[in-house]
Amino acid sequence: MAKRVGGVVGLWDDDHAVVAAAHKVRQAGFVKFDAITPFPVHGMEEAVGIKRSWIPWVTFIMGTTGCLAGVWLQYWTSAVDWALNVGGRPFFSGPAFAPVMFELTILFAALSSVAALFFACRLPKIDPPIIDPDLTSHKFALFIPENDVGYDAGRVEQLLRQVGAKEVRRIAEY
Amino acid sequence: MAQSSTHAVHASPGQYTPSPRTKTAYAVAMFLGLVLFAAALSTDKARAWHSFLVSFFFFTNLGLGGLFFAAIQHTSKAGWSVNVRRFAESMTSFLPFAAIGALVLLFGATSLYTWLDPKELAENALVRGKSAYLNMTFFVIRLVVFFGAWLLFQRVIVGRSLKQDKDGDESHTVKNVGTSVAFLLIFALSYSLFTVDTTMSLQPEWYSTIWGIYCFSGLFQSSMAVLTIIAVTMMRKGLVRGLVSNDHLHDLGKFLKGFTVFYAYIGFSQFLLIWYANLPEETIFYIARSNGTWMAVTFSLLIFKFAVPFLMLLPKAAKRNPAVLVTVSCLILFMQYIDLHWIVYPNLVNGDFDKYGGNFILSWPEVGTFLMFGGVFLWSVTNFLSKNPLVPVKDPRSEESCHHHVTY
Repeated sequence: MAKRVGGVVGLWDDDHAVVAAAHKVRQAGFVKFDAITPFPVHGMEEAVGIKRSWIPWVTFIMGTTGCLAGVWLQYWTSAVDWALNVGGRPFFSGPAFAPVMFELTILFAALSSVAALFFACRLPKIDPPIIDPDLTSHKFALFIPENDVGYDAGRVEQLLRQVGAKEVRRIAEY
Repeated sequence: MAQSSTHAVHASPGQYTPSPRTKTAYAVAMFLGLVLFAAALSTDKARAWHSFLVSFFFFTNLGLGGLFFAAIQHTSKAGWSVNVRRFAESMTSFLPFAAIGALVLLFGATSLYTWLDPKELAENALVRGKSAYLNMTFFVIRLVVFFGAWLLFQRVIVGRSLKQDKDGDESHTVKNVGTSVAFLLIFALSYSLFTVDTTMSLQPEWYSTIWGIYCFSGLFQSSMAVLTIIAVTMMRKGLVRGLVSNDHLHDLGKFLKGFTVFYAYIGFSQFLLIWYANLPEETIFYIARSNGTWMAVTFSLLIFKFAVPFLMLLPKAAKRNPAVLVTVSCLILFMQYIDLHWIVYPNLVNGDFDKYGGNFILSWPEVGTFLMFGGVFLWSVTNFLSKNPLVPVKDPRSEESCHHHVTY
């Protein structure tokens, strides 16, 4: 969801029903629609057709960067800038560097994963549109945006009712 | 709680019958292995017993690993793993043979352990100081007690699971929780002492307080590899359709990856402290393993027992791909053998430097002994799986396992 768009939303009060409905909406040809649920629902990714997130790549690349940063930091401080003889060991001592390499791998990977998550989800949202307050406790929704292929408000309302929505309404922004 | 379970079962497992060719292969492996071991005994007694110790330890670990896996699943009341638990239980069927192996090991104890040598005891005050613990009588008592306890727990924990197949009584599941907790506590102590007795005492002056956990990390890593291979084999035979899916493999792959990291963590922890402190009585272990070709073996552990399996198992798709899982599992099992070889053999080749050149050796005596144990292990596992249902379908959590679904 790049910009805020209007569309039609259907509400369900059962998680199995909303997964089944999402399958049907996807079969009907919609590709940009979204599901809003109060908890992770098994099988929803496949039903809505959500692709795998790109965040693991950020984690992997930044983890590798962190590991290399650990090598460089210790090489520069221990062997170049202020070389100290510790127990007669080489200035560049692999085993001694490993814990810091490990820690920096975790630090870089974890912090950048969280940052990527915030970016991907456009967080923090200051004034998120509220479709229905019950969506955070016991209701489930499918939202079909108006910029989706073959969107026609009347037809979409009809489709959502057909696939079992308890309530269907048009909203101005999501 | 003594009531019959009435829940619906979605699918029932097929009957596994090993083909005559499989059985012949196991018999040939056992026979050939026995002949090679006998030949090794007559040509080079010390080497034969060292190879015996490596293979004995390797397969005892797998038997114990199966029991450990079953016990942690009972303890945590896990639902997902019910349908693969029987494969872990099949691995425990090797434990009685492991006990026989321990008895046979006693005949070779004088070729392995210098603390049994009266001359060494007279000359070496450090070893003499440990003789209250390291002596033949106490060694035998410990082995008998450890194997007795393990076999007892195997009988009870696996026995209840098999009884449940027939009577469907849910109380077996309830009772197994307490028994498994007891086993895990006893296992932690007994296995630590077992590793100290059989492998750490090969070098009686040397000690490492992390030794038990180091051996355990290899135990669990290799056991998960075997468990994955059994699960994939049974899936490919189409015997567990609707019961064991790629989602189960995904979680087994996570275990495999997790304990690959755990192995590296423990292995490095042991090394780092010894390297930093640089005390002669501690560094002898790593100095012996950095001489000549041993350095390459030491590095191969880091690369092929940690880095390669870790990177291979990192993507989600790899953990759901049976071919990748089996490849990684085979690599891990091979490296587990190399790891145990690396633990045991430097004591042999450095003790008689002229004869072996102090270098890494691996030839027919080692392969033969491995075949002997491997044949017995595979025979006992397939025998167990052909005599019992492949999946504990009457377990109250089997239903949950059938619907197991992993998203990430």
